[in-house]
Amino acid sequence: MFAHTPLRLTTLCLLATLSLAYALFAGFFGLEILAEIAILAILVIALDLVAGFGGMVSLCHGALLGVGAYAFTVAANDAGLSAFPAMVLAVALSAGLAFVIGAVCARSIGIYFIMATLAFGQMAYSFVFQSPLFGGDDGLSGAPRPDLTAIGIDLTDSRAFAVYAIAMVALTYLVAAATLRSGLGRSLVGLHHNEKRLRALGLTVWRAKATAFAISGALAGLAGCLAAQHTQYISPGLLSWTVSGEALVVVILGGLGTLVGPIVGAVLFVVLKHEISSITPYWHAIVGLILIAVVMSRANGVFGFLEARMAARKPKPFLQKADADA
Amino acid sequence: MTTDLGFWVLQTLNALQLSMLLFLLSVGLTVIFGLMHFVNLAHGSLYAFGAYMAASLAGVLGYWGGFFLAPLAVAALGAVLYFTLIRSQRRAGPMAQVLITFGLIFVAVDATRLIWGDLPIGIAVPSVFEGQLALLGVEYPIYRLFIIALGLAVLAALTLVLTRTQVGAMIRAGVDNDQMAACLGINVERMFFLVFVVGCALAGLAGAVAAPVLSVTPDMGLQILIPTLIVIVIGGLGSLKGAVAGSLIFGFVQTFGAVLLPTFNSVLIYALLAAVLVTRPEGLLPAKG
Repeated sequence: MFAHTPLRLTTLCLLATLSLAYALFAGFFGLEILAEIAILAILVIALDLVAGFGGMVSLCHGALLGVGAYAFTVAANDAGLSAFPAMVLAVALSAGLAFVIGAVCARSIGIYFIMATLAFGQMAYSFVFQSPLFGGDDGLSGAPRPDLTAIGIDLTDSRAFAVYAIAMVALTYLVAAATLRSGLGRSLVGLHHNEKRLRALGLTVWRAKATAFAISGALAGLAGCLAAQHTQYISPGLLSWTVSGEALVVVILGGLGTLVGPIVGAVLFVVLKHEISSITPYWHAIVGLILIAVVMSRANGVFGFLEARMAARKPKPFLQKADADA
Repeated sequence: MTTDLGFWVLQTLNALQLSMLLFLLSVGLTVIFGLMHFVNLAHGSLYAFGAYMAASLAGVLGYWGGFFLAPLAVAALGAVLYFTLIRSQRRAGPMAQVLITFGLIFVAVDATRLIWGDLPIGIAVPSVFEGQLALLGVEYPIYRLFIIALGLAVLAALTLVLTRTQVGAMIRAGVDNDQMAACLGINVERMFFLVFVVGCALAGLAGAVAAPVLSVTPDMGLQILIPTLIVIVIGGLGSLKGAVAGSLIFGFVQTFGAVLLPTFNSVLIYALLAAVLVTRPEGLLPAKG
């Protein structure tokens, strides 16, 4: 079960305060990085929701993000919708696609689930890559940013956009946390622990899995909309399985199944990426080595490590500890 | 075009050549999974390393030097990996294995860029196999026929070892039930090591034979990884027959899809994979009945 421990709440408050403060004072480059962190954070919260709590390790979240980005751009550019209806449409499309993928893959577990989602992700990638409607290899440009001038906000300004992106992260977090605290979220955690038991209790397993996957897909689609608005250019590379792989890496670096940890992971990943790539072009190798070290250390990422240390310092009743594990 | 016999012969040969290349890669991966339950996403990187070694050695020792030494070099690298990472992570579950080997891919891609640079490297076809051969009215490059023959030879050798020798029986017993095999006095640990190293050597061999046909680039390992995974998932993880069937299905669907249904080509194979996973989640010919 997901619970807001004091450590999680403190971390969330710290993250919110620091990112907003940074958004007010940072220069152009810093703001771009902040928006990049926010977009990645949305994607990894979505992934942690299904992978960390439901045990559905997905390698198609990059594709769901890409579908959101493409749907948003096409709806806004070709269908002439304004930005918010286009976003709603894109999020709904990602959610629908995720529901289908979740329903089809509900029977597969472990490595088969990973492979099946990989296959669906690659299918979407190939489709977008080949289809002339989506500009193929060249990608599409000119996705608009939402027009908030009516309430005095100009989102073409990168400072306003960064704050808007942070607000979207907060929204995503609230949706994910609400999902986990609902009956569906409890079923999801239960399914991860013992699927047979939940089946015996009368749960329609495939529907629970598909619905959870659809919510996660909707959030990934939202990340896609923001990515399209941020760079105002999208390419099929967004859908590639390496994007999903990187998202999984971020979740692991932060702390699987903690929901807060992946946000920390997103901050660390983007900052490390920019820091290391300014020193050496081989930053992927260093990220790879860090990943191997983290996984081999058996700690649950940076945040999971912190939680374990805190739990070790202050012994708690057995039941509560078992709760915090889930 | 489709009524011409030559067209069918040509495309069948192309499909066979692709199938055999994939077979060399997927057989190692699938047997490693079947025996050790280890998911090695870095298998493609071993293939790329084999191609680079073959290209480098070919410059010094000629093509055949690279052909024979590259698999050995890859096997040596595999042995190092086995003792540093693989052995300790065998029981860690698919998630940790996928992540560790995903990290290895990152490291491998950058390591090849660091050592051999970003530019593609090409090597020449050995002089024995230069030129074309007329076959049923089609001119076909002899080197590609050599790839097909090599794949068939490896298939025959592996089938012979797995079904007719004691080592083969031990491996089959290990795939079936490794704890029971260990109780019967088989040194399962040593067998794992042997299978892993042979699997790596086969990946290196695939890289060495592919080097003259495809250009050798840092991301060639990533490009071949997805097709290899599709092959073993369609065929059924852990089975030799599955690897053969999967390679043939992939090779033929990919090749004939490209010429007959060009608009759906790339989606076709993924749709097939999804269909297989939905109807038979364990693959077409799983190792365990």
